[in-house]
Amino acid sequence: MTWIQPTSVDAVVRARAENPEAIIVAGGTFLGILVRAGMLEADDWISLQDVRELTRLQSLGDLSIGAMVRHRRLELDEDVRGIWPGIAAAFRAVASPRVRNVATVGGVLADADYASDPPSMLVASRAVAEIASVRGSRRVPIEELITGHYSTCLEEDELITRVIVPRPQGPAVYRKLRTRSQEDRPSSSVAAVVHQGTVRVVVGAVSDRPHHFADLCATWRPGNEDSAREIGAGYAERIEYIDDNRGSAAYRRRVVAVEVRRALMQVSS
Amino acid sequence: MNLALRVNGRTIHADVEPETMLVDVLREHAGLTGPRVTCGVGLCGTCTVLMDEQPVSACILMAPLAQGTEITTIEGIPEDDAVVRCFDRHHAFQCGFCIPGMVLTGRAMVAEGHAADREEIREGLGGNLCRCGCYLKIIDAIEEAAQ
Amino acid sequence: MNTSTARARRDQDNNEGTGNARLRPGETSAVQGVNPRITAGIRYATDGGIPGEWHLRIIRSSVPAGRVTGFQTALLDDEIIFLTPDDVDAAGLPAFGCQIADQTVLTREPKFVGDAIAAVLAPTLAAARIAASLVEVSYERAPAVFDEMAAIAPDALLVHRSHATSESDSAYFDMRPQDGTNVCHRFRIRTAALQGRQEPNVITELDDSDTALADAFAQADVIIDEVFHTPAAAHVPMEPHATNAQWVEGRLEVVTGTQTPFNMRQDLAHIFGLAADDVRIVVPPMGGAFGAKTFIRTEAITALAARVSGRPVRCVLDRDEVFNEVTRHPSTVRIRLGAKADGTFVAKRIWAYVNTGAYADCGPGVAQKMGYAGVGPYRFEHVAVDSYCIYTNLPPGGAFRGYGAMQSVWASERAVDLLADRLGIDAVELRRQNLLREGDTFCTGEVMHDSHFEELLDDAASAVGWEKDGDRAGKGVAIMLKGMQTPSKAEARIQLLPDGRYEVQAGTADMGQGASEMLTRLAAEYLKCDVDQIVVCTPDTDRVPYDTRTTSSRSTHMMSRALADAAQDLLQHGTVGHGYVSNDGGLDPDTGQGVASSHWHQGSAAASLDVDEETGVITLRTLYASSYAGKVVNPHGADLQNEGSMILGLGSALFEELQFSDGQMTNPNLSDYNIASALDVVSISHKVMQIPGAEVHGLGETAVPPVPPAIGNAVASFGYHVTRLPMTPERVLAAAPSHEQASPPVGHIQGEEGA
Repeated sequence: MTWIQPTSVDAVVRARAENPEAIIVAGGTFLGILVRAGMLEADDWISLQDVRELTRLQSLGDLSIGAMVRHRRLELDEDVRGIWPGIAAAFRAVASPRVRNVATVGGVLADADYASDPPSMLVASRAVAEIASVRGSRRVPIEELITGHYSTCLEEDELITRVIVPRPQGPAVYRKLRTRSQEDRPSSSVAAVVHQGTVRVVVGAVSDRPHHFADLCATWRPGNEDSAREIGAGYAERIEYIDDNRGSAAYRRRVVAVEVRRALMQVSS
Repeated sequence: MNLALRVNGRTIHADVEPETMLVDVLREHAGLTGPRVTCGVGLCGTCTVLMDEQPVSACILMAPLAQGTEITTIEGIPEDDAVVRCFDRHHAFQCGFCIPGMVLTGRAMVAEGHAADREEIREGLGGNLCRCGCYLKIIDAIEEAAQ
Repeated sequence: MNTSTARARRDQDNNEGTGNARLRPGETSAVQGVNPRITAGIRYATDGGIPGEWHLRIIRSSVPAGRVTGFQTALLDDEIIFLTPDDVDAAGLPAFGCQIADQTVLTREPKFVGDAIAAVLAPTLAAARIAASLVEVSYERAPAVFDEMAAIAPDALLVHRSHATSESDSAYFDMRPQDGTNVCHRFRIRTAALQGRQEPNVITELDDSDTALADAFAQADVIIDEVFHTPAAAHVPMEPHATNAQWVEGRLEVVTGTQTPFNMRQDLAHIFGLAADDVRIVVPPMGGAFGAKTFIRTEAITALAARVSGRPVRCVLDRDEVFNEVTRHPSTVRIRLGAKADGTFVAKRIWAYVNTGAYADCGPGVAQKMGYAGVGPYRFEHVAVDSYCIYTNLPPGGAFRGYGAMQSVWASERAVDLLADRLGIDAVELRRQNLLREGDTFCTGEVMHDSHFEELLDDAASAVGWEKDGDRAGKGVAIMLKGMQTPSKAEARIQLLPDGRYEVQAGTADMGQGASEMLTRLAAEYLKCDVDQIVVCTPDTDRVPYDTRTTSSRSTHMMSRALADAAQDLLQHGTVGHGYVSNDGGLDPDTGQGVASSHWHQGSAAASLDVDEETGVITLRTLYASSYAGKVVNPHGADLQNEGSMILGLGSALFEELQFSDGQMTNPNLSDYNIASALDVVSISHKVMQIPGAEVHGLGETAVPPVPPAIGNAVASFGYHVTRLPMTPERVLAAAPSHEQASPPVGHIQGEEGA
């Protein structure tokens, strides 16, 4: 078994190209759970722990978040809290400070766990992932990056290097509905971000991936309860829901209508 | 692989597979019993250790990720530490299995100024579970230690 | 104590621990200096092993019922020791069980998913894990039954072919197995006028018309008849079950986290054909138990492995195994409650269907307590209770903090509110009107003494600002009584040490409730010395005298009196003092008459909350419990026990539920099974009610049972009549008034108006 610790993105993607079976380790929280449970085995590991360039966080203009930036840093960073409060709120909603001290932005996207908090907010914020490989780099909107349960459009030699979030022009809200303990993962999550008078509403944690319906959002009349209700009903109708310990499909359908409506009224005020 | 980890101010050497979790290195190679395995999914906090002063879940942290950091377990905290003493004064424990993790978490909160009021303390403790249900006295203890 | 002496004590504790082949008594004087539980200065059974021990992994059934037809073990390394039911037979080990002898150490006929069918023993834990994964098992599957009502149906398939009552001390009452059914114990209460009737042996339908006893309700103007459910729940001790065993010159030595050291000694002696003196049980402090660490769990298979291998052996369960090892009994409870128009209670009828899973464990005892706790602290002319302990193919149910009372108090206190609404009487006033007071007779024939129900009720009601006949939107109260283990025995010994200190030798296990601190404080009080003059030895059956067990909140009450006697004896007679107390009694299993409990745990709770009518989410504003403690030994400990009970009750009320698919538990981890966190306890406050000069009462569970119905009654005040725990947002919405046929604020009430 090997564990390598490259110090540059170039070295990582070369190692990845040479050994596509090797597993990339970022924060290692999700991987740690899988490995401990015996659900993931690998001969070779490529750890990002020494790749300094992936830990950069820049907030001049758009927000540029290196893939190895920890959740906790986004939650506490003054600029992020002030200018991208929705992003700060969604990362703050993840698990516990202990997990957020380790979990990374690249990791949460590469895992594509349906019950994670950040993806819906990143989609609502029109965030884009920058992806590198020996073949070059490309940019993919987060809504295209996550394709389903624990699946992404990443090729096997690719690495998420950073996430770029445009500077928002309007309010943002993140609503996390918990149905059990207050430290639970979401039964539903709704992110709504207003940008130049239009809204992007994204519903997460109820289905295999976050859902955004631009045509429904286009009908929004800010501050109008009926409009919010109609959009909520439209979202509720169109999503295909899952059942889990945090709620049945029927329950989720019902509360998504409510939570979307509430989110829209919140960003109106 | 050969790991050299800094734990409580000394260096621990362990020849382990890369997927060995930090908690197992600490318990089996360093003889420390403060970090404990309860949930195995990083959720409950009995395995909490400080990595460069920040609480992390040692039960799901692959040990090589701790290289180059300073690990602190409850065994590395002096008994006259303010948080330890406040836990004692408030009798903030029952069975004690979760308490080292609570103390370390509380210590990081106090050190960083994230224990301003009870709500912030609760928030900080959200991922540390105590089945005996000592939360109220634990919050009392951390609140006092923060003052 | 300064830091250096605290360190010295910690080192001493470390050296003691569980690591030595020859175990020495420990010192856990938990009163002085920084408590070693804070600083990891104590060793749990998980922390240390016996030098040279091998590691055991249990191979578990993947089918809920059937027969093992073979094991494929070709891939196992030569050094691996593989244990099967053949080894159990070769050793001649008999069936065992604390109340019914229905278990074997390893079984060929698994009865639940997770049943122990084989084991592997290897020099390292990693090797044992690999070995366990390499064994392939073939099965012949058999049909299975999971629901208690399906299992009691007349044509249900039988989980066990016959019923065999255990000889163990833990079978402390007469069993009433019902042959040809899955009912391994039936407990009944029949007050005087209802005895001696011709009745069916088992009532299998939830809408049974109960003709034999119908006249009990003749004087009732209003009758509430409703069915309530409680699911299986998990104890979740933070420390998993951990056992170390070795054989030393023909004696079996077991170091294990158990609440029942003397039952363990007796049951292991029975299994291995030894005299009780040839079994030694040592109990390090436990990292929580809550009932999960009672009677034989991993101890018998670990001891067998040690005997077969001739080595010390260690067995520590993984978290999913802890979840499946023992659960809280899922239950269906039907309550029929009749009253006169003025609110006077007339009669109560209870049918409790207690799902004990594949093995009885202490289910018969749980069924009995569920039966009488459901009657509640009220006066009735007539009471009839049927409580059935029913086998199914789920993991076994066992002792669980609240011990059956939680399930029936949930049902009965919800029913009282339904009755109050029906009668148009204030729910607190209706309770007050019917409470048992000093000198009143309980349904078992016991005359109540030291009763404080009215103060407890008033205290809870005022905590949520309850005003008589006022607006009670979002408010609810509940009250309950719960018995203590009766009969039982406790002995204590105090020895003057050569250095002038006193050693307390007592079998009370420390699972976090502060047993050693309680013993230290009391001994110092009785001996009129400083607490640092007292050392408490680790419970070790070679060194401490007999004690029934550390359950049912009995230890503070019983052991305090044994200790007082021991102190008296020592002060009078020299260097060693003995103390002994027993509480006598017990209930007739057919009439429920006798002595249920030598004293009563009495508690109330109140909740005030909001319900989000669109999402069903409940937000607690206040959750309050008031528990009677008599005299308090350790104020911190009393607070912690009471708060901890409430927090457990809160989880049971709102989200704790084990789920199964075809008998397989689907959420045996702390991500899919939530327990309450620091974020969930914002609204909690409580009172430990003390009376100067009163006797010492246990407090370990009192606040568990009243919490779910207090919350349920508050939720019902908005019209959501939830009958199934936990009250998830989804269930709240499903119980919304608009979903009901009838328009009244309370949901569907069966039963008819009387005269």
